[in-house]
Amino acid sequence: MVMQVISGHLGWVRSVAFDPSNNWFCTGSADRTIKVYNCVIGSYRFSLSLFFSPLLIWDVASGRLKLTLTGHIEQIRGLAVSSKHTYMFSAGDDKQVKCWDLEQNKVIRSYHGHLSGVYCLALHPTIDILLTGGRDSVCRVWDIRTKMQIFALSGHDNTVCSVFTRPTDPQIVTGSHDTTIKFWDLRYGKTMSTLTHHKKSVRAMAPHPKEHSFASASADNIKKFSLPKGEFLHNMLSQQKTIINTMAVNEDGVMATGGDNGSLWFWDWRSGHNFQQAQTIVQPGSLDSEAGIYALSYDVTGTRLISCEADKTIKMWKEDETATEQTHPLNFKPPKDIRRF
Amino acid sequence: MAALKDLLPDAKNSTSTYYDHANDPWFKQRFSTSEEEKSTVVKAKPVPPYLKRAGFVPRKVEDFGDGGAFPEIHIAQYPLDMGRVKGAKPGSKILPVTVDARGNLAYDAIVKQSENAKKIVYSQHKDLIPKILRNEEEGGDEGEEEEEMQKEIEETMQETKAALEKIVNVRLSAAQPKNVPKQSSDSKYIKYKPSQQSAAFNSGAKERIIRMVEMPVDPLEPPKFKHKRVPKASGSPPVPVMHSPPRPVTVKDQQDWKIPPCISNWKNPKGYTIPLDKRLAADGRGLQEVQINDNFAKLSEALYVAEQKAREAVAMRSKVQKEMMMKEKERKEQELRALAAKARSERTGTVAPSTAVPMSSDRSAMDTDMRVDYEPVRERERDMPKESKEEREERLQREKIREERRRERERERRLEAKDAAMGKKSKITRDRDRDISEKVALGMASTGAGRGGEVMYDQRLFNQEKGMDSGFATDDQYNIYDKGLFTAQPTLSTLYRPKKDVDSDMYGGADEQLEKIMKTERFKPDKAFAGTSEKSGPRDRPVEFEKEVEEADPFGLDQFLTEVKKGKKAMDKVGSGGTMKASAGSSMRDGYEGGSNRSRINFERGH
Repeated sequence: MVMQVISGHLGWVRSVAFDPSNNWFCTGSADRTIKVYNCVIGSYRFSLSLFFSPLLIWDVASGRLKLTLTGHIEQIRGLAVSSKHTYMFSAGDDKQVKCWDLEQNKVIRSYHGHLSGVYCLALHPTIDILLTGGRDSVCRVWDIRTKMQIFALSGHDNTVCSVFTRPTDPQIVTGSHDTTIKFWDLRYGKTMSTLTHHKKSVRAMAPHPKEHSFASASADNIKKFSLPKGEFLHNMLSQQKTIINTMAVNEDGVMATGGDNGSLWFWDWRSGHNFQQAQTIVQPGSLDSEAGIYALSYDVTGTRLISCEADKTIKMWKEDETATEQTHPLNFKPPKDIRRF
Repeated sequence: MAALKDLLPDAKNSTSTYYDHANDPWFKQRFSTSEEEKSTVVKAKPVPPYLKRAGFVPRKVEDFGDGGAFPEIHIAQYPLDMGRVKGAKPGSKILPVTVDARGNLAYDAIVKQSENAKKIVYSQHKDLIPKILRNEEEGGDEGEEEEEMQKEIEETMQETKAALEKIVNVRLSAAQPKNVPKQSSDSKYIKYKPSQQSAAFNSGAKERIIRMVEMPVDPLEPPKFKHKRVPKASGSPPVPVMHSPPRPVTVKDQQDWKIPPCISNWKNPKGYTIPLDKRLAADGRGLQEVQINDNFAKLSEALYVAEQKAREAVAMRSKVQKEMMMKEKERKEQELRALAAKARSERTGTVAPSTAVPMSSDRSAMDTDMRVDYEPVRERERDMPKESKEEREERLQREKIREERRRERERERRLEAKDAAMGKKSKITRDRDRDISEKVALGMASTGAGRGGEVMYDQRLFNQEKGMDSGFATDDQYNIYDKGLFTAQPTLSTLYRPKKDVDSDMYGGADEQLEKIMKTERFKPDKAFAGTSEKSGPRDRPVEFEKEVEEADPFGLDQFLTEVKKGKKAMDKVGSGGTMKASAGSSMRDGYEGGSNRSRINFERGH
C-alpha cells in the first residue's frame, strides 16, 4: 500500500498540508524547513527553509532549484494552505506564526502573540481568520489581514495540541493535553461545551468531511462525537495502544491514525472497526525507535494518504486496487460490548 | 371517594408535607385579630390582564394581587411568599431543587448553574451510552438539507463576521488613534491688582494682566500610571468528568516503568571518580583486537613494486641514453683524431698509406689506429736518414711525451665517463652543490665579499705576528670591546659626513653647508676645564672614554714606602702592575703621572 517514499528533510517531518488545487503539498519539519512537493509524482517542488539555511524552491518540470528564502528558527508544527488566497500559513515551536505569500514565496505577515511553542494551526473555511493553539494552553484567533489577535480562547489547563474549525457552530473545536475537548463560540470567544470523555491528552482530532461528527484520538481510545452538540457517539472498537499523534478521515469513511510507534491503523468510520494495521518501515540508516508518524493527511480527493514520519521521510500511501476479499481477508469480530469509557 | 382515588394517578410523594399555616403571613393577616397588623395588609398592584402578561415577572407579594401563581409565566413564583426559603439571600449558593417535565429531580442542576447554564453540559448516564450507527436513516431530501446547510453556514458566517469585525475595528482604532488630544489653545486673561501698591513691588505697576493657558500635554508621553495585573477571571465552572477513573497500576505496569539508573563510566554509585586504569579495564578496550584489512598491505606492496619497476625502467632508459651519447662522442672524437692525423701526415709530407682511417669506435680499432700512427713514423725514419742523431733523439723524446699525454688524457676521459655513468660527481661539478657548512669546513666559504658593503674581519686575526697571546687572551680577560670598533676602516673620517649632495639644488650644496657648520663657533666652548692646559688639536673623532687603570697612589706613598723598606718588598710593583698590563695597554702610558689618570675631555675654541 506504500506507494512512494520521499526523503528530503533533514529532521522529523512534523506537519503536512495540501494545496486546495491538489497540485502540491507542503511539509514542515524539525529541520526548520517547509518543503513543497509536487503531488503528481511526488517530486520535490520547492522547499521553504526557515533558518538562514537555504529555502529551496524547485521547478516542477525540471526539478531545478528556483528560490531561496528564510524564516522559522524552530521546528514547524502546523501548516495550512488557504483556499481563498495565495497564502500558506505555518506555525512552529519558535512561537511564530507566519503567513507566506506563494506568489512571492516570502513571509508577508507574522502573527505575534504566542507565549510558547505553537502546536496546531487551522484556517476558518468561510471567514478570514486563523486559529493557532500552543503550549501556552491558549487557542488564539487571528485576523489574517490585520494580524490582530481577535480572541485568546483560554480555558484549557494544558497545551492545546489540536484544533479544527467548521463553518457552523461550534466553529472552533480544540483538543488539549488536559484531556478535554472544548467547543468555542466564535462570536463571543466563549466556551460552548467541554467534553471530558478522554483520559489522556487529545492529540489528534478529525472532522468527517461530510457527516456532522468528528473523531478524537488520545492514547487510551479513539472516540467519535456528533457535532452540533458534541454528543458522545461511540469508541472505536479496538485500541491502538500507543500515543496517537495524528488522524485523518476521507469521504469514503476510511480513518487513518498514526501512532508514535510507527503504527498506521485504518478504521471504518461508521462501525469503528479497525480493518487494517500497517507499520511503517523506517528508512535505512534510521533507528527502530525512529518509527513514528507525526502527521497524516489525505489529498483533496481522498485517494492518497501522506504520512510524515520521524525517520525524516514522507510516505505516500495508496489504496490497493487489486485487493480482494481473498488477498485481504476481513476478519470482523465485533466485541460483545463496546467500551464506553 | 375510593373511586376518585382510583381515578387519580398515584401520588408522587407519599409523605405529606407539614406546613405551618399559622406562620404564613397570609394566614396571619387574615386570622389575627389585632388592628395594627391589619393595617400592614399588602396593597395589591394591578396585574395585567390575561394574554397581556408578556414581560411581566411576578416576584414580590404585591405582584400576585391576592391570588395564586400565574401558570403561563414560566418562572419560579412565590405567591404570598409561600415556599420561599426565608434565609435565602440573593447571592446564596444554595440551589432550589428543580424537577424536569416528568417530575424527575434534576440532580445535575448544580453543574448547569450560572455560567454553565448557557452551555451544553453532559452529565447524565445516557450521555455515555454508545450510539452506534445512529444516523442510519438518510432521507431523500438531500438537496433540501444541503440548501438548509448552506443557509445556516451563510447566516453563521455573517453573524460571526460582524462580531469579529467589530472587535477588530475597535482594536484597530485603538492602535491608531486618530484624535490626538488637542491642546486647548484658548487662553483666559485675568486682570488683577496687586495688594502691595508701591514702586518696590511688581515693577511699580498698578495692575497686571495674566494670561492663563492650559499646560500643553505631550501626546507621546508614556502613561504615568502603572499597569496593574488584572487578576485572571475565574475559569468556567467545572463540568462532570465523563470517563471512568484511572485504573490502578498493575504490577506489570510498574515493572515496565522501572527504568534502571544509568551507570556512569566516570563515577561510581557513591559519586567518587573511578580511576582511569579501572575504567579502561572495565570498558574492555584492550579486549578487542584491531583488525586491519589485508588490502592495506596489498595496496602498499603493490605500490612499492610499481615504484620499484618504474625506477628501474627510468634508470635503464637513462643508462641506454647515456651509452648512446658516449658512443656518439667517441665516434666524433675518433673522427677528429683521424682528421688530426691526416693533417699531421700531410704537414710532414708523407702521405699515410691508409688515409681513410676506419671509423670504428671500439677500442681495438683505436689500437690499430695507434699502430697506424706509428707506421708513417717508421717510414719517415726510413725516408729521412739525414736526420741527425740528436734530432732523432729529441724527436723520439717529444713523441714519447706526446704519447704519454695522450694516454693520460685517454685514461682521464675513460675514468670520467665511468664516473658519469656511475653517478659520481666530476671534479668540476663536485663543488657546485656543497652545503655551506661543508664549504666552511673546507675553507671555501666566501667571506661576504660578494655581498658588497663592509667587509667584516675578526680583529684578532690581524696581528698574528705577535703570537697567540696578543689575540687570544686568557679566558677570564675581557678584552673584546677594549678597542674601537672601526679601527681598521677609514670610517671615522666619514662617519659624520653627510652623503654626497643629493638635494643640493633644494637646500644648497652639502659641502658648503658642512663647511659652514665646521666654521661656526657657536658650539665650541671657549673655556677649557681647569687643569687641562694642554691643547690637543681640533677633535676629529667622537669623544672616547678610556678605561681607568687601577687606583695608583696619588701621593706617591707606596713609592715612598718601598723606598723606605727597600729590599723587603721588592715584589710589590710586580704584583700591582701584573695582570692588568696586558689588557689595558693603552693606559700604561700615564702610569705614574700625578693627579688624575683619567683620559681627558678637551673642549676648546675652534680656530
